[in-house]
Amino acid sequence: MDILIQNLLNALQWGSFYALIALGYTLVYGVLLLINFAHGDVFMVGAYIAFFVATFFLGFVDLSPWLTLALTVPLTMLLTAGVGVTLERVAYRPLRRKGAHRLYVVITALMCGLMLENSNLALLGASRKKFPELLDKVIYTWGNVSVTNLKLIVIFTAIAVFILLEFIVTRTKIGMAMRGISYDKFAIPLMGIPIDNVIVFTFVLGSGMAGLAGLLFAMSYPILEPYMGALIGWKAFIAAVVGGIGDIRGAFLGGFLLGFIEVGVVALFPSTYRDLFAFSILLMILWIKPTGIFGVAKTTKI
Amino acid sequence: MNTLLEVKDLCVKYGNIEALHGISFNVNEGEIVTLIGANGAGKTTTLLSVSRLPPPEAPKVISGEISWKGESILDVPPHEIISKLHMALVPEGRHIFGNLTVEENLKLATYARKDSAKDINGDYDRVFSLFPRLAERRKQRSESLSGGEQQMLAVGRALMSKCTFIMLDEPSMGLAPLLMYDMFRTLKKLNQEGLTILLIEQNANLALKFAHRGYVLDTGEIVAQGTSAELLANPEVKKAYLGG
Ligand SMILES: Nc1ncnc2c1ncn2[C@@H]1O[C@H](COP(=O)(O)OP(=O)(O)OP(=O)(O)O)[C@@H](O)[C@H]1O
Ligand SMILES: [Mg+2]
Repeated sequence: MDILIQNLLNALQWGSFYALIALGYTLVYGVLLLINFAHGDVFMVGAYIAFFVATFFLGFVDLSPWLTLALTVPLTMLLTAGVGVTLERVAYRPLRRKGAHRLYVVITALMCGLMLENSNLALLGASRKKFPELLDKVIYTWGNVSVTNLKLIVIFTAIAVFILLEFIVTRTKIGMAMRGISYDKFAIPLMGIPIDNVIVFTFVLGSGMAGLAGLLFAMSYPILEPYMGALIGWKAFIAAVVGGIGDIRGAFLGGFLLGFIEVGVVALFPSTYRDLFAFSILLMILWIKPTGIFGVAKTTKI
Repeated sequence: MNTLLEVKDLCVKYGNIEALHGISFNVNEGEIVTLIGANGAGKTTTLLSVSRLPPPEAPKVISGEISWKGESILDVPPHEIISKLHMALVPEGRHIFGNLTVEENLKLATYARKDSAKDINGDYDRVFSLFPRLAERRKQRSESLSGGEQQMLAVGRALMSKCTFIMLDEPSMGLAPLLMYDMFRTLKKLNQEGLTILLIEQNANLALKFAHRGYVLDTGEIVAQGTSAELLANPEVKKAYLGG
């Protein structure tokens, strides 16, 4: 029983990371039908931004860890959002303006991701960065179950983000516009809505959350390297697809599902089986429901 | 009479294909003007050009002028056509947001409105009283509406965006005759309350009975114009568009 709860908490933590990243894939896909393959690397950049912001406030300004954390959260989200918006501006928008086929935009996204990885490598070298400690570690224990404050923070953050985004998408006009675009882009300007603003807003949300995920990830696993976003990005993308890409609930469900499957596999089998089993199970879900769990067929996309 | 919309020698292209070869027409305040013509004549192209929608779905203006109250709108971005100039387009094929409810569709149309919640609520009431079917279905996903109801929603949406000028691209399409007459009666009423209308119709007979003036478009050129009575009496028009 204790082992079960322990694993449950681990699964929730990993699910939270996947969900926070999957969100960015799903939002951008929902609005632009673009698979933003650079998103995993935006997460990586987010972790590095968090690193620099935190080191700056700790080391140069000499703030307390608490205050540093309080400043690092919004700044990381803001700056990472800036990275996402910049990608949109310099890479995707010009292609969209020219009416480029989606294939070319997806390839552009892949290239942007590689450029982010390699510019990191070029600028900072291959050496890994050690993320500073911002939070005094507290371990809560009940019987054999133990959980750190950080793990709880990660899980609660993911849940709070989910509630916030659900609210934005279902209740606000800009959220409605995001849903509207995914159905019929043509009619959006006819409603007096500047399409580009909605698209930029979407990138701000998706990349901001990737930045938040990057910060939390760096706090949880404090070694940063340029390729840290690649595998986790792929996994989050697959989670978004399994959940039903274009749907926020799908991103969260898919993210947590992947977390549970991974932790479940590791609990029962050697850990080298983890990814093989995890992806096999996801593949089976797609056999049964190719549009993903919350997905609907293309003609009636969210 | 105040001229609202003035189109002068307008040439537009889709890629390399010229779709309008220098057309000129105007719409004055308070009028109902209709643009009639066969399939592929360029009617939709004309409305898309006026709405300033971007290519590739809409054409590119090569030469000529489109002006609103005497000022060129060629450089106005498409969302400002409605939000600043209050010209609405009810597009061909309706283009409602099928994944949103009826109410959400109407609400989205108020996106750029800056007037008070009271005015906006008044407009909801007006739309629901003009189209009671929409009121009954306000919580329903709009893709589940019938074609006629979707058309009402498309018109209702344009009204919610606070237009003083409305362009309608074949609003009778897919409507049963009874609903079609209802729709035209509603539009007439809106016109009498001050809405200026530019109407596109396949059904020239109906359009000319409804409008004050009309233009006949044929493969990208205007081949006849005049008051509705003149056009209805014009032998060429009769022969080509009114079934003899
Ligand atoms: N997106 C497009 N790309 C290329 N050519 C187009 C496009 N849209 C329309 N055309 C061409 O422009 C011409 C005018 O088309 P338009 O849609 O304006 O006709 P219409 O008068 O509205 O016809 P209908 O009554 O069938 O709706 C046609 O020859 C059509 O083939
Ligand atoms: Mg047409």
